[in-house]
Amino acid sequence: MTETDKVASAATGPKTNYLRIFERFALILVWLLLIAGFSIAMPVSFFNWGNFSILFASYAPAALLALAIIVPLTAGDYDLSVGATLTVSSCLIGVLNAWYDVPIVACIIIAIGAGVFIGLFHSLFIVYFRIPSLVVTLGSTSLMTGIVQWMTNSSTIGGIDNALIMAVVGGRFLGVPYVFYYALIAMIVMWYIFDFTPLGRRLLFVGRGREVARLNGISVDKMRVGALITSAVVASIGGVMYAGILGSADPYSGLNYLLPAFAAAFLGSTTILPGRFNPLGAVVAVYFLGTGITGLTMLGIPLWVTNVFNGGALILAVTISQLTRGREVTDIG
Amino acid sequence: MKHFWKFSTMASALALALVAPTLSAQSADDGMMRAKERLAVYTEAPVFTAPGEPFDIKACAAGKKMLSIPNSSANPFLKGIIDRMKVVGNDIGLEVVEWENQGQPSQWVQGFDFAIRSKFDVIDLISGISPDTVAPQVKAASDAGVKVMTSHFYDPSFEPHPLISSSLPIGFNEIGKILANWVTVNTNGKGNIAIVVSREVPPTIPLVAGFESELAENCPDCKIVREINVGVAEWGTKIQQSVQAVLQSNPEIDVIIPIYDSMSQFVVPALRLTGTLGKVKVATFNGTPFVLDFIHDGSVDMNIGESLDWIAYATVDGHMRDLCGLAVPDKLNVPFYIFDKDNVADAGKPAQFDTGYGDAYIAGFHKLWGME
Repeated sequence: MTETDKVASAATGPKTNYLRIFERFALILVWLLLIAGFSIAMPVSFFNWGNFSILFASYAPAALLALAIIVPLTAGDYDLSVGATLTVSSCLIGVLNAWYDVPIVACIIIAIGAGVFIGLFHSLFIVYFRIPSLVVTLGSTSLMTGIVQWMTNSSTIGGIDNALIMAVVGGRFLGVPYVFYYALIAMIVMWYIFDFTPLGRRLLFVGRGREVARLNGISVDKMRVGALITSAVVASIGGVMYAGILGSADPYSGLNYLLPAFAAAFLGSTTILPGRFNPLGAVVAVYFLGTGITGLTMLGIPLWVTNVFNGGALILAVTISQLTRGREVTDIG
Repeated sequence: MKHFWKFSTMASALALALVAPTLSAQSADDGMMRAKERLAVYTEAPVFTAPGEPFDIKACAAGKKMLSIPNSSANPFLKGIIDRMKVVGNDIGLEVVEWENQGQPSQWVQGFDFAIRSKFDVIDLISGISPDTVAPQVKAASDAGVKVMTSHFYDPSFEPHPLISSSLPIGFNEIGKILANWVTVNTNGKGNIAIVVSREVPPTIPLVAGFESELAENCPDCKIVREINVGVAEWGTKIQQSVQAVLQSNPEIDVIIPIYDSMSQFVVPALRLTGTLGKVKVATFNGTPFVLDFIHDGSVDMNIGESLDWIAYATVDGHMRDLCGLAVPDKLNVPFYIFDKDNVADAGKPAQFDTGYGDAYIAGFHKLWGME
């Protein structure tokens, strides 16, 4: 490069890639368009704060699960057991509180402690014995499902302390139940750690190339253990929220949150920081999908359409994101 | 003459216009009376009625073996029935064995093979396994001399599988009618209803048909505003959100009918979040304990229950009649009983599966079987 070229380059500055900027905010734009569309179709019932406050609250456990998943995904591990961990946590609260009269605060501590234990259990097999995370967490899902059935006698447990219900959905700020703010706090904390701390950077390096990270002096194993424990703990907190929303604990339904949470994590990786799992994107994706389901249901469209919407939105968004990036290789999937 | 016809037509129209509201009101009043009468049967303590002629059940059951295959052993309702059938079997000399499974058809097939190899006399498909799903096994069992029977599965209106030896259906249509009459009475004949169903489950069809027909007959001013159809596998992820959305878009809804009571755990949070808990009435069916507890705390208003022990006695009675060549009852001889805030305390606190129904059936069956 000649001196003249250098001067010219400095004068024009780096080329702005408008396509990349559009890609970063495309999902949010589509979300806003979706809201606008439903609001025009149903100006009274859809476009009111009450509707949004309910939407924000009821998808909070799903948002927590999506946040839980992206931590090990960023470090290059899968955690397929988050739905089962959520179920273990909510059922522990049900059994201990409703059946054995253990105070609710102690139940919550035990449930989160169970999350730590589950994370350590996964770490032992994934990091120490070097078994693929897919196999271990698939196996532990089945293991936990069985334990939950034994623990609950396969029954739904009602009668959970009203204090938990009040702390989760009873109290409201700006009309929105507290549970949404808990998910919001989790998202902000994770966003800060992911984007503004060395810890977040190290996690990303571990996911992008373990050997390179190790050669750079990063303790890869510790990072992976931390990610697996964080995932299980966040899923456990999701279980506490789930028990608070339902006011009961049932041994089956939490498992169904796994696929929507994964869908949101992958859909979220197409926005804000495309090509990377990120907390803001995951939460935006959860509420984008939630908005679609709520609007379609309000319009009286059969519920199978919502599955088509979820799956279609995921595949379409990831495909468009890839095309925008010229089909470059990503770390996702 | 032309004027006369014109005048008389106008007079008739006027008379009709004046009389029509009165007739409509009369029809609604009649409907309300009918609904109250029909509902009263289910609010009184269940009474035992003999399902058939007396017979010596011990002589019939001596040395016989029955394999009960539930839809899934993880279902506490079915597990409870089979556990009680074992006790009844023990009393009469019938060996009752459960084929433990996790709801997988391949496991049901293994159960049939086991029954044929072990020379069982009866295979009881209890509540949920459609004989159509295991048709080759039903044929193999029948060919091997093992009688295959179903219980607590078909509605009386269904045509049972041709290879089934006998069937003890339960009145899902009747349950739909009870729910409709409850809505009629408890909304003063003006209910705006959201009904939550799972149409892929066969009993849903007669249940909803009964609900709609009874509502049409007894509650002309009631209206099903929305039907929410959610597959069983998606109850946890879809019911709450759907009910919330429907309540937001149709604020006139004042009754929700989750037709199977385990749906209620997702309906109640939806009511809580939309601020309609206690304002929108909830009526349901199955008598599951945690839902009876919801009645205690005012989240649910009514639940139609059945006694598991009574089902166990009635199932053993019906199957033994078939085994010994006697006439099999048209349906499972178990009454439905309505729990609401007035009598839910009878079910225990926390509620139990088998509490609150009385024990009239035990003496009744023992007398019928010559075991007094």
